[in-house]
Amino acid sequence: MSASNETQGAEGGADEPPQPDNTFYECNICFDTAKDPIVSMCGHLFCWPCLHRWLETRPNRQVCPVCKAGIGKEKVIPIYGRGSTNQQDPREKLPPRPQGQRSEPETQGGFPGFGFSDGGFHMSFGIGAFPFGIFASTFNFNDGRPGPPEAGSPQHTEEMFLSKVFLWVAILFIFWLLVA
Amino acid sequence: MANIAEQRIKREFKEVVKSEEVAKCHIKVELVDDSYRELRGEIAGPPDTPYEGGNFLLEIKIPETYPFNPPKVKFLTKIWHPNISSVTGAICLDILRDQWAAAMTLRTVLLSLQALLSAAEPDDPQDAVVAKQYKENPKIFQQTARHWTNIFAGGPLREKDLESKVTQLIGMGFDQNKARIALSTYNWNVEQATEYLLS
Repeated sequence: MSASNETQGAEGGADEPPQPDNTFYECNICFDTAKDPIVSMCGHLFCWPCLHRWLETRPNRQVCPVCKAGIGKEKVIPIYGRGSTNQQDPREKLPPRPQGQRSEPETQGGFPGFGFSDGGFHMSFGIGAFPFGIFASTFNFNDGRPGPPEAGSPQHTEEMFLSKVFLWVAILFIFWLLVA
Repeated sequence: MANIAEQRIKREFKEVVKSEEVAKCHIKVELVDDSYRELRGEIAGPPDTPYEGGNFLLEIKIPETYPFNPPKVKFLTKIWHPNISSVTGAICLDILRDQWAAAMTLRTVLLSLQALLSAAEPDDPQDAVVAKQYKENPKIFQQTARHWTNIFAGGPLREKDLESKVTQLIGMGFDQNKARIALSTYNWNVEQATEYLLS
C-alpha cells in the first residue's frame, strides 16, 4: 500500500507546477540534479562522480554521506532513465560507473535437489552400504553448490587429496568385504 | 573542482536563509566577501543552558575540497565550554573532523554546534581546565559560563559576585581578561588566581 501511495505522490508532484520537483532528484553531495545517477543500498541518490570522489577521499571509512550506512563501489546501483544515455558526461577521466547486476530469473519446478551436473565430488557404487548412502545424498543435495575450484589453487589440490583419500578408503572397504 | 564547493555553498546559503531556524533567530549565516570561501555564522545560546540569551559568532572557512572535507569552524566569541578552547575558540566536535559526511550542510553544522552547547562532552575535551571544572564543580562551571556569556556574548544574566572579583583584581593592576581567565581557571579563588597572575 505504501509503495503505491508514494508513486502517486511523486506523480502528483510532477503535475503541480510550483513544486520544484527536481530537488527530488538532486545528488546528495553536489545538490545538483544527479548526473550518472547511482543509488546506494540505503536508498540515497548521488552523481557517480561525486560518490566516487567521496569514497576516494576516505578509503578507510566508506560510509553513506547521508546516513553513514556502509557503502562501497560494488554496492551501488546505477539508474538508467529512458532516453538519458550519454547526454552529458564531462568527467571522462573517472572510472566508469558500476554496471547493473543482472541475475537470471529463478526457475522453479522439477527436482531441485538432484543437481549432479555441477561437476563436484560425488561417488556412487553399487553396494548399498549404509554410510555411503548417507554421504552420497548429503553431499549432493544442495543445488546451490559452487563449482569446482580452479586447477592449481590451494583449494583444488586439497580437494584432489581428499578425493584420493576417499578413493583409497573405498578400495580398502571393498577389499575388506571381499576378504570377509 | 572548486566549482562544486562554490556552487554548493551558494545553494546552502539559500537554504539557510530560508530555513525556519533563521526565521526563529536561532542561527544565522552571512557572507564575509563575495568569494564564498569564508562565512560568518551566528548561533543563539540554547535555552536552559548558561549560554541562554547569548549570541555566538563563528568563523567558517570553506576548504577547496568542500563538501568532501568539513568546513573549518571556530568560535570568534569567547565562550566557557569543555569542548571549545577558552583561548582560541577551537572546537572539538567529531563531525568537524572524522565524522564529517558530505551531505551535511552549513545548517546542520550550526545546529550541531548549538546542540553541543546544550550537551557538552567533558570526556572528549578541547579545554581540559573547563572540562575538569565541569565535572568537579558543576555549579561554579554554570556560573562561569553564564558570566562569560554575559560579558562576551551579550547574555542578559549578570553574575555580580564574579564581576566584583574581577574588579578586585583589576584594582590590583591586572589586565581584565587575564584576571577573568585566572579566576575562571582557579574556580574563582582570588588568592590562587592572584598567585598565578604574579608567577
